[in-house]
Amino acid sequence: QLTPSSFLRIGQLSNVDLNEDIHELETELPRQRPNEIPHNEKLLSLKYESLDYDNSENQLFLEEERRINHAAFRTVEIKRWVICAMIGILTGLVACFIDIVVENLAGLKYRVVKDNIDKFTAKGGLSFSLLLWATLNASVVMVGSVIVAFIEPVAAGSGIPQIKCYLNGVKIPHVVRLKTLVIKVCGVILSVVGGLAVGKEGPMIHSGSVIAAGISQGRSTSLKRDFKIFEYFRRDTEKRDFVSAGAAAGVSAAFGAPVGGVLFSLEEGASFWNQFLTWRIFFASMISTFTLNSVLSVYHGNAWDLSSPGLINFGRFDSEKMGYTIQEIPIFIFMGVVGGILGALFNALNYWLTMFRIRYIHRPCLQVVEAMLVAAVTATVGFVMIYCSRDCQPIQGSSVAYPLQLFCADGEYNSMATAFFNTPEKSVVNLFHDPPGSYNPMTLGMFTLMYFFLACWTYGLTVSAGVFIPSLLIGAAWGRLFGISLSYLTKGSIWADPGKYALMGAAAQLGGIVRMTLSLTVIMMEATGNVTYGFPIMLVLMTAKIVGDYFVEGLYDMHIQLQSVPFLHWEAPVTSHSLTAREVMSTPVTCLRRIERVGTVVDILSDTSSNHNGFPVVESNPDTTQVAGLRGLILRSQLIVLLKHKVFVERANLSLVQRRLKLKDFRDAYPRFPPIQSIHVSQDERECMIDLSEFMNPSPYTVPQEASLPRVFKLFRALGLRHLVVVDNRNEVVGMVTRKDLARYRLGKEGLEELSLAQT
Amino acid sequence: ALELAQELAEELWSAGLPGDLPELEPECRSLLAAFAEGSAALTGCLGRRARPVRLCQGCHGHYRRLLAQYGSIARAVGNSSESHNCAKSILTSDRLQIVVTLSEFFNETWEAANCANCLKNNSEGLSNSTEEFLDLFNKSLTCFEHNLQGQAIGLSPNNYTEVCKNCNETYTKLNDLYNHLQRMNRQGGESAHSAHLCIDVEDAMNITRKLWSRTFNCSLPCSDTVPVIAVSSFILFLPIVFYLSSFLHSKQKKRILILPKRIQSNANLVNIQEKYS
Repeated sequence: QLTPSSFLRIGQLSNVDLNEDIHELETELPRQRPNEIPHNEKLLSLKYESLDYDNSENQLFLEEERRINHAAFRTVEIKRWVICAMIGILTGLVACFIDIVVENLAGLKYRVVKDNIDKFTAKGGLSFSLLLWATLNASVVMVGSVIVAFIEPVAAGSGIPQIKCYLNGVKIPHVVRLKTLVIKVCGVILSVVGGLAVGKEGPMIHSGSVIAAGISQGRSTSLKRDFKIFEYFRRDTEKRDFVSAGAAAGVSAAFGAPVGGVLFSLEEGASFWNQFLTWRIFFASMISTFTLNSVLSVYHGNAWDLSSPGLINFGRFDSEKMGYTIQEIPIFIFMGVVGGILGALFNALNYWLTMFRIRYIHRPCLQVVEAMLVAAVTATVGFVMIYCSRDCQPIQGSSVAYPLQLFCADGEYNSMATAFFNTPEKSVVNLFHDPPGSYNPMTLGMFTLMYFFLACWTYGLTVSAGVFIPSLLIGAAWGRLFGISLSYLTKGSIWADPGKYALMGAAAQLGGIVRMTLSLTVIMMEATGNVTYGFPIMLVLMTAKIVGDYFVEGLYDMHIQLQSVPFLHWEAPVTSHSLTAREVMSTPVTCLRRIERVGTVVDILSDTSSNHNGFPVVESNPDTTQVAGLRGLILRSQLIVLLKHKVFVERANLSLVQRRLKLKDFRDAYPRFPPIQSIHVSQDERECMIDLSEFMNPSPYTVPQEASLPRVFKLFRALGLRHLVVVDNRNEVVGMVTRKDLARYRLGKEGLEELSLAQT
Repeated sequence: ALELAQELAEELWSAGLPGDLPELEPECRSLLAAFAEGSAALTGCLGRRARPVRLCQGCHGHYRRLLAQYGSIARAVGNSSESHNCAKSILTSDRLQIVVTLSEFFNETWEAANCANCLKNNSEGLSNSTEEFLDLFNKSLTCFEHNLQGQAIGLSPNNYTEVCKNCNETYTKLNDLYNHLQRMNRQGGESAHSAHLCIDVEDAMNITRKLWSRTFNCSLPCSDTVPVIAVSSFILFLPIVFYLSSFLHSKQKKRILILPKRIQSNANLVNIQEKYS
């Protein structure tokens, strides 16, 4: 089990022996076309495989179903609920852990830097404080980046694109492992403490998903422990349902928005959905936010107060003080337009940056250096802004966590420092709720500008961090600026409080960047705790999405595309009806006969050039070499389990007492089936025969050759298939449609375009 | 107080109230009168000491007395029957409940001013730290006055360098003590309200700070611009070097294209383009 599975091996080949590999290919297949190109967005990577969402209804499955009686199915249902509760509780606890550790470490850092700055303001020599701040940031981020770059690269970023792909049916290697969770949690803590322009909310979604995947399987391969529970759920289909619950629980813990979490799962994740699942997911979300709430309120010393439902709390928006009027709605819509444009700009800049990073900064040590540089520059920019700012505000009570005086008069603090010298979450809340006049427009303008570029630069670094909070912060800053200038223009008539403009700006900016609609509206509504804001937030997000989509697509979709993931959208490209299955499919197909020689099976499985995963099973007709009628479909994983247990026809005859293979044997091997190389098959055994009829899926989905692409797509997408066999009118296999065959058609700028397959 | 109660009773009688109505008992009447007097005294005190704020120092006696008076009203039981005790007849017999309102107002003001913070635990007199602070405060004010008087009138009015130099020690002490008090206070209390020191201390500090920073302009000047610019431009320069060098020296990552097994795979894209061009 320790040997890497087949896809990993391919990945390593291309990474390590790049030259050798190219050499082989060139000698084998001399072509006119250059087969080596720089990375671009129009590629599909072979690294990614599909998940098996289709249930293989073979005889073993039927037997099991017959054996399990009605009551047992009821316990399965109860187990599902128990698992969802556990997902909620653990996700909430992980969120608490992150929150508490970040609060303490960041507090420590800011206190040290503040004391240092206070000391050197009096004595002179502030450049040392700058160096101290930059070095502290860079070293903390270095640790965070090293663990991500060298131990688990899939933990980089917010994890939302990865979870989105997973729920879409793409198997992203390592994405739901315990190791990833540990790295993710530590990485988030370190990057937030390191002062990067990042938030800890996005990664909660990934963390929740990993927890869900882990619990529902009742074991951990990273720890090599099997708790022998929940064995029934060791299937991709079941795991996917729990992962969507985990993602919802993550959102719910991050924003204190259980309904938003469910809708997030619905909008971003779940390609497959039903009502019972929704109810269970909602349950997990509620449990998660409640756990976070109760633990945090105990931590803050006022138990049973339950006042912190999420990692970020937007604070109270009172209807009386911060209500809006009908006249303001056009203004909000205008803000949505601004948010859409700024979001599109953010995405476009980030696109170029990410492309550069993929092409040139692919070595882990370079990635670590880059992250450290960003951290140092973030500190420097913050320091210079604070240093140059002459915006001093009187301290009122203890609303400012770390008031930096610098050159302000005694009893006043530097207003720029509340924005830069703070964790981003706190800055957001300050921008929403500080009384009018706490910031002067110049400060806000400079802050927006700087933070925009810093956040754009930071997203895509090899650290685990989310983009939610930086977006909210940018939006809140320009929204507040907008509100201030509005009341200035109208001579302060009715629109007094800039806080609500800060909120709308935050919504617009976030919507412009991530292009979420329904779930984001509900999340913002729940985070503010004010239902009346629902309508303007919805309008703002809608406008931001429409305007943004006119320029470029959303950040997550963009990153999915840049990673060359074969992602299936909701619909096939609209102008693709003239393409038929015949043109889409891959052919010829490697078929197996119903009773096949073991040697042939082993050879097919070990062939590195065709890393197929599903094999149509055809009628065994030893006389002719022709392809005969389709009988079923068998998966690579099933074949491997069969070979491992040596289920050969001859052996069955030899020992009648031999234990019959059960579905459990297949489940035990899930999800990491051993590669074919680790299975030893002797020369004698190669001559044996293997009977597949009991194990194959006897009724695979098929389409005729003439089916149009949208038709094939719909079938494939709705059922979550992995293999779709194309047959002719005599039921003979002519081709096979897989995810990559469908995902490569895309609606580009000049109509339909086709992506090429590449090894990465 | 007794005279006042008498007066009150006379007034009531002269107003011609019918004798058979339930009447305030004499004990209750005197309690009420005492409360009225106390609240008048406290109001006067608060008003007189509003600016510069000396509420807690000057009025804590009045406040304590008033509290006691209110307490005795609330506790007092008339001798006739249980339904006719003073608390009931004074505090809850009408819609306005003016005694309750007044007492609530004083309590809220006292809480908002956070006076408990600079009084001793039994509320008798100022606490030691407050005394110390006020002492230092007076010292610094004297110092300011002293130095300002000493300054020749002929000099430019904005030149307060003498004050800044001479009073720096006292001022810094005062400032440090204030910060210390604040820190102690924050550690001690949990709720948001007790994060404030009492208003007297806060106001005294505010006045001094304003004088010091705004009027005398003694706060720290902006210094070390050159080293800060140097260090920051060095750090800002690093990423440019990094990106340029990785662009020039790092090997660009290439992808190996795989040709899919397909019917007329080469002509496929051409087909599509023909169809849609």
